[in-house]
Amino acid sequence: MVLSQRQRDELNKAIADYLSSNGYVNALGEFQKEANMSNDVEKKYAGLLEKKWTSVIRLQKKVMDLESKLTEAEKEFSIGAPTRDKRSPAEWIPRAPERYSLSGHRSPVTKVLFHPVFSVVISASEDATIKIWDYETGDYERSLKGHTDSIQDIAFDHTGKLLASCSADMMIKLWDFQGFECLKTMFGHDHNVSSITFMPSGDFIVSASRDKTIKMWEVATGYCVKTFTGHREWVRMVRVNKDGSLLASCSNDQTVRVWVVATKECKAELREHEHTVECIAWAPESAYPSIGEAGGADAKKSSGPFLISGSRDKTMKMWDISSGLCLFSLVGHDNWVRGIVFHPGGLFILSASDDKTLRVWDIKNKRNHKTLEAHSHFATSVDMHKNSPYVVTGSVDQSVKIWECR
Amino acid sequence: MNPAAVAAPVEDVQGDGRWMSLHHLFLNEAKEREPEVIFIGDSIISNLAQTQLWQQMFEPLHCINFGIGGDQTQHILWRIQNGELEDMRPKVVVLMVGTNNHGHTAEQIVGGITEIVNLIHTKQPQAQLIVMGIPPRGEKPNPLREKIQQINKGLTDQLQDMPNTLFLNTDWSVFVNSNGVINHHDMFDFLHLTQIGYQKICEPLLEEIQNYLQTFIKVESTSIETASMAGELAGDK
Repeated sequence: MVLSQRQRDELNKAIADYLSSNGYVNALGEFQKEANMSNDVEKKYAGLLEKKWTSVIRLQKKVMDLESKLTEAEKEFSIGAPTRDKRSPAEWIPRAPERYSLSGHRSPVTKVLFHPVFSVVISASEDATIKIWDYETGDYERSLKGHTDSIQDIAFDHTGKLLASCSADMMIKLWDFQGFECLKTMFGHDHNVSSITFMPSGDFIVSASRDKTIKMWEVATGYCVKTFTGHREWVRMVRVNKDGSLLASCSNDQTVRVWVVATKECKAELREHEHTVECIAWAPESAYPSIGEAGGADAKKSSGPFLISGSRDKTMKMWDISSGLCLFSLVGHDNWVRGIVFHPGGLFILSASDDKTLRVWDIKNKRNHKTLEAHSHFATSVDMHKNSPYVVTGSVDQSVKIWECR
Repeated sequence: MNPAAVAAPVEDVQGDGRWMSLHHLFLNEAKEREPEVIFIGDSIISNLAQTQLWQQMFEPLHCINFGIGGDQTQHILWRIQNGELEDMRPKVVVLMVGTNNHGHTAEQIVGGITEIVNLIHTKQPQAQLIVMGIPPRGEKPNPLREKIQQINKGLTDQLQDMPNTLFLNTDWSVFVNSNGVINHHDMFDFLHLTQIGYQKICEPLLEEIQNYLQTFIKVESTSIETASMAGELAGDK
């Protein structure tokens, strides 16, 4: 190997330092003589040889790691990783790169949601519109306009014929998803309406607001029939369990609450997060075995229900609602957790975060299974289709991305 | 009466109403954005939002920028009195203002900034306030630089014992060379900062902010040059 004169001098000085600091006095003397060096060892080179020696190995290891990562990524990209037919749908997870990046919104995207029946996905934005996209072709279909301020949340009833939306303009709107007309506008909240969801029967809508309340509305009449009070600050999200008996909500007051729908009573107040709780999701029954395994002895005996919450404290927490205990936390996001959804197979959880990633979590092992660098700005929302292998994410970068699962 | 410490809106001499438009934009953002960090000040603050540094270093920390070019202390006072710090609970507020107060003396400007500091503490008692020292201006030594030095000196005295307040004064030697000359690579018009100029004041600022947030969110490399192999070797443990 050919060294420049300067490199050779440096190497010699580093060797001299090594010899001197290890007490090889004779060798040092001889070396200095043979290399025509002065007798003093320069301080500047202290430890340099050892440093280079170890860092070469470290860097080699790093190169190897990166190379293996690269081959893995290349394999995934060119031959499509494990092919879909070889895996069961329960193991499908989103793969990079995204299949479509859909642009059209003129402000941050706040929510994304798959239609339960048709092959469309809808997105809500701070630009006050809802946009409808075909996720199979990547085509833009239409916009729903009517709100006058940032849209915060959107929800379909189980048939997919009705769409509900809520906004910072304090309105809740009900849309006919066949004629694409606004059927009703509901007023009653005194501030930004941050979340909306249908009761399983489809007869009622539940909304959460910055006015600290949760309200229930009758779809047929548009009247507010119930108000749930207790949160001390802005309620960020509300979600109904599968049989419609319980509501879960989360808030800037750092708590998650569970309410009995029939009596409006607050059944549980779950406080363990250290910042605003942004999002929640009820675990589907398919996930109970893996949650039981992850949660230890108590969780195994429990019959649930289970709920997961995501917070600005960067963590996600799994709760056993029957006991009110936090079973475990999922830690790994580097910024606020904004969106959370269970994989329908019950083995994974997907989350979107202000660290710009979409992450897949292996429930059983409580582990970050895969991280996708999803967006160029905060990732605000994620949804996964119940039967088709697709995931959608939305972001402050104004794009909606469709990810194919394999 | 100290004119630098009496709230006043900007007079719309050009007639396009931009200042008021910005104020309304900020009011809306204050209500909706839930920032953890607010930057408020003049063009040196507002131009920061247009840099890559802002995207890489500050946006991930949930910062918002309420800078308006040309603002003097009395204008910032007016904006805060008229709602720009309502409807939010930031953990940190960053303030830089004063270089545009041409008609006022150094003492008056220090008085104006102190007034703003008091107002911010009233509106946001939980927030930690970082007051940035005013950077030097003009290619060569000039009376304005001396005045700014007096202001920074005055602020050091005024703010040192104030609770929840940090006066962060970047050492002028990072901008002014031994001949007293400012390089246009740092300040392209000998007043406003370039990307390189911002980097010099923002690295210590970022550290303070992260410290107060008690969070070390991963931001992209703060250095413009890519970390070299040499850096790898030097940083080796």
